Amino acid sequence: MPNRLTRRALAAGLALSPLLAPAVVRAQAEPIRLGTLTPLTGAGGPYGPAMRKALEGVVEAVNSAGGVAGRRIQLYGEDSQTNPDAAVRAARKLIDVDRVSAIMGTWASAVTTAVAPLCWESRTMLFTVSGADSITQLPHRGYIIRTQPNSTLQISKLAEFLGAQGAKRIFILAAQTPFALTNRQVLEREMPKYGGQLLDQVIYDKDKTVFRSEVDQALRARPDFIFLNGYTPDVTILLRELYRAGWTGGKVAPAYAINQRLLDSLPAEVTNGAFTWAPSPDLESPAFKRLQTLLGTQDPDPYSCQTNDHASLAALAIAKAGAWTGDAIRENVRKISQGDGERVTEVTEGLKLLAAGREINYAGASGACDFTDTGDILTCPFRYEQAEGAKLKTVRVS
Amino acid sequence: MENYLVAMAVFAGLYGLMALGLNVIWGMTGMINLGLVGFMAVGAYTSALLTVRHATWPIWAGVLAATLVSGLAGAFVARITARLKGDYLAIVTLGFSEVVRIIASNEIRFTNGTDGISAIPGPFRGHVAPATFNLLYLGLVALALLVVFLLCQRLRHSPYGRVLRAIRDDDQVTAVAGKPVMRFKTEAFAIGAAITGFAGALYGHYNAYIAPEGFVPLITIYIVLALTAGGTGSNVGAVVGAALVVAFMEGTRFVVAEIPGLAAVQVAAVREFMIAALLILVLRYRPKGLFPEHHPRHPIPDTTP
Amino acid sequence: MLAHLIEELPQLIVNGLVVGTILALPAIGFTAIYAVLRFPNFTVASHATMGAYAGFVANVWFGLPVLPSLAVAFIVPAISGLVCDEYVLKPLRRTSAATGPMAAAIAAVALTIALENVIRFVFGNDLRGYDLPVYRDWRFDLGFAFLRVGPQQVENAAISVVVMAALFTFLAFTRTGKMMRAVADNPMLASIKGINAETVARLASLIGMGLVGVGGMLLGLDTSIDPLTGFRAVLTVFAAAVVGGLGSIPGAVVGAMVVGIGEELSLLVLDASYRTAVGFVAILVVLTFRPRGILGERAY
Repeated sequence: MPNRLTRRALAAGLALSPLLAPAVVRAQAEPIRLGTLTPLTGAGGPYGPAMRKALEGVVEAVNSAGGVAGRRIQLYGEDSQTNPDAAVRAARKLIDVDRVSAIMGTWASAVTTAVAPLCWESRTMLFTVSGADSITQLPHRGYIIRTQPNSTLQISKLAEFLGAQGAKRIFILAAQTPFALTNRQVLEREMPKYGGQLLDQVIYDKDKTVFRSEVDQALRARPDFIFLNGYTPDVTILLRELYRAGWTGGKVAPAYAINQRLLDSLPAEVTNGAFTWAPSPDLESPAFKRLQTLLGTQDPDPYSCQTNDHASLAALAIAKAGAWTGDAIRENVRKISQGDGERVTEVTEGLKLLAAGREINYAGASGACDFTDTGDILTCPFRYEQAEGAKLKTVRVS
Repeated sequence: MENYLVAMAVFAGLYGLMALGLNVIWGMTGMINLGLVGFMAVGAYTSALLTVRHATWPIWAGVLAATLVSGLAGAFVARITARLKGDYLAIVTLGFSEVVRIIASNEIRFTNGTDGISAIPGPFRGHVAPATFNLLYLGLVALALLVVFLLCQRLRHSPYGRVLRAIRDDDQVTAVAGKPVMRFKTEAFAIGAAITGFAGALYGHYNAYIAPEGFVPLITIYIVLALTAGGTGSNVGAVVGAALVVAFMEGTRFVVAEIPGLAAVQVAAVREFMIAALLILVLRYRPKGLFPEHHPRHPIPDTTP
Repeated sequence: MLAHLIEELPQLIVNGLVVGTILALPAIGFTAIYAVLRFPNFTVASHATMGAYAGFVANVWFGLPVLPSLAVAFIVPAISGLVCDEYVLKPLRRTSAATGPMAAAIAAVALTIALENVIRFVFGNDLRGYDLPVYRDWRFDLGFAFLRVGPQQVENAAISVVVMAALFTFLAFTRTGKMMRAVADNPMLASIKGINAETVARLASLIGMGLVGVGGMLLGLDTSIDPLTGFRAVLTVFAAAVVGGLGSIPGAVVGAMVVGIGEELSLLVLDASYRTAVGFVAILVVLTFRPRGILGERAY
């Protein structure tokens, strides 16, 4: 009996080993290896698949245009499961087995913070869309690039816009996120500059199904603008509740929360008038146009725009360096994303120019893509949109 | 590749520790605990708070404190749930782990909230190459696993362990036989929780980062799967089961990547489906696990039909 | 402070009742299955999600109005619940009298993850919504406070109440219903009386998961539909069932109200972010005094 079981256990172990083989075989072609770790299951599920698709779109575009310096890009994708525990194992696999030089598209701040040490220890570049301010403050030695604006940039831009809209009394309804507190602090500090004030913030439990009383708490403070600082599933509920409560004042949410998906799932009268804001791409940008076609929507999610840029930045940095290590990307990413070079908005165009020995300055689907030394985006234009008839209309870019 | 295998072995060891903890509670004493991850979180947070956030205790002291605090948490949960039978216990323990997560998310001053705690120290981390640290830690976890395993074996073969099994098989008969059932149950729960918290602390020091989102019920399911696959009641089963679960979870990555024509989200769905299906299949076709518990030296009469 | 309290209290109670009536249906489904099969069928989470999606397909893809869509939201999870129990969970319950129910409970946890991923495989993660208008709330002036009540929520609550009434009528007055209660009360006695426990067990799974599905669609009406719709509510559903007394259908209704209103009232003293914890505090308080829930286990 024990004998048989040992054999069985051994067989289970051996059964795994041939499965590991294909990755090794593929290595003979020596493509450039890049990894993605978007959330495909769990709370980030509504965003991850489109983010992944945007990444794949860039890789496909690059490969069909002849690759980078004659090499194909091979994309290795894993699911972060929106869970740092699962993400750490997935990142280990990407780094140690697939030997990727960059991991792109981490979404949850906890996932990004969990895999960040693995990345900088193994000299792997990490491109993220996470919003927690603490991420770029990690001792990452340049291995992190974050395309999502930090609280200071994001919220100062919001305050400026709210001021221009004549908002005087702001109330925040926020999900419990790593940036909820810092967002509040920045808004509290910034609003007075524009003659307004932050009344208060209610942090809600985003896994709840009803937020009637939370909305009542907000309305009792008599605000003229409500800032919904959450994600699509909970902001859907909040918008519906605000409509039911007869709210006619202003409402604003990040562009990743009020996206096309949300607008499609709610009646237009519920979402009409809601504002969104996000770092702005060049609307005529070919990268943005390609994303629109690829994702089949007029208004690609800001996160998808950002992962589009992750892959583009990685490919361009590799082309610039002529090498495909994490270090090469780290040292060259700012050389192709900012500076005096020729302005490009599409990765293949950039690759051509780089091949011709020219300097470039990439601005992507998510905005200018100019980064500080710690990996945050420098100030850049934001696009403010307003929902009207289940579509987002650009109000202004500034 | 080696680095990856070493890291997965560390995870398997940590899961193995937790499976041993669950085995004391569930396998030996028969109390269901679907809140295991809550004790893991208590352990991980205790050690992290003491070694980096609120104090700079040495790692060993943090881990020791974590073991004690999670043991106390276990005793506390056991006391308040003492009168509940199986199904109630399942739901209450599940709720306990969610409450732990909610507190960790919201008591920002104390736990740093959803931002989590980063830069948790690990022995020699930063002084040796990452691959060496990985290997060192594997040695440490293997040692911890060995010690806890031997202790659990001792517990199982001791008169104390026999009382626990008697409680599992029929607590009323055991009570009639004059054993303080309540005390034994509380102690067993506390011991299991302490082992789990110990594993949680080691987990935090290995990953250098913990956050509330990392302590979701899914981990409890992995541990239950490990123990069930290995053999409920058997310490060898707990350890081997944990290794198999990690091997299977990782193996599915390579299998699903080969399925053609699926969108990324479908691949991810298939992978989670496979892990769930495995648990169901094991329960169905190997209800006693791959290493069924065989009754040690002094067999007690089997009361189950 | 007191004026503040008086002003807020009526609205909080109304909101709590609204939450409670919607929670009640899945809680009844969960508890009814427990009453007959004697194990917690944790697939409630994914069957609620399934109900939301079934209703979505009926309403948006086939253009059916709400009521027929609700029927679809009953039927699909009902059949799935039956099939899952018949082929996955029942064989496990039989493995041994002592460990069987626990094995089935654990398998149900795994099964709910499996089903969630089947749904994800078919529909993806994208957010969906029903093709239904949203109405402004009615407002009432109570003199000392304003009260707002949503027509849709009243409708949902009414649907929930009608379904509950139908269930109670079924259990109280039909032969099959009486058989179900007999098995729930005393399986041994029921089998001596010649009641086929198998049939009753199947009916319990069918009706129970059907109710969970309807509850899932009602949840979806107020929230959004994605593969985690059911999961978000499920802890509260369990809390409701346990507070009321596992296996007691009126208990599930009472439990849902206690948890629903309790969560709302907690806002007076606690941050909204602690809501989920309130359900479990309610469990601990109730179980401390009544270890088998408010109404005990076998009260129909």
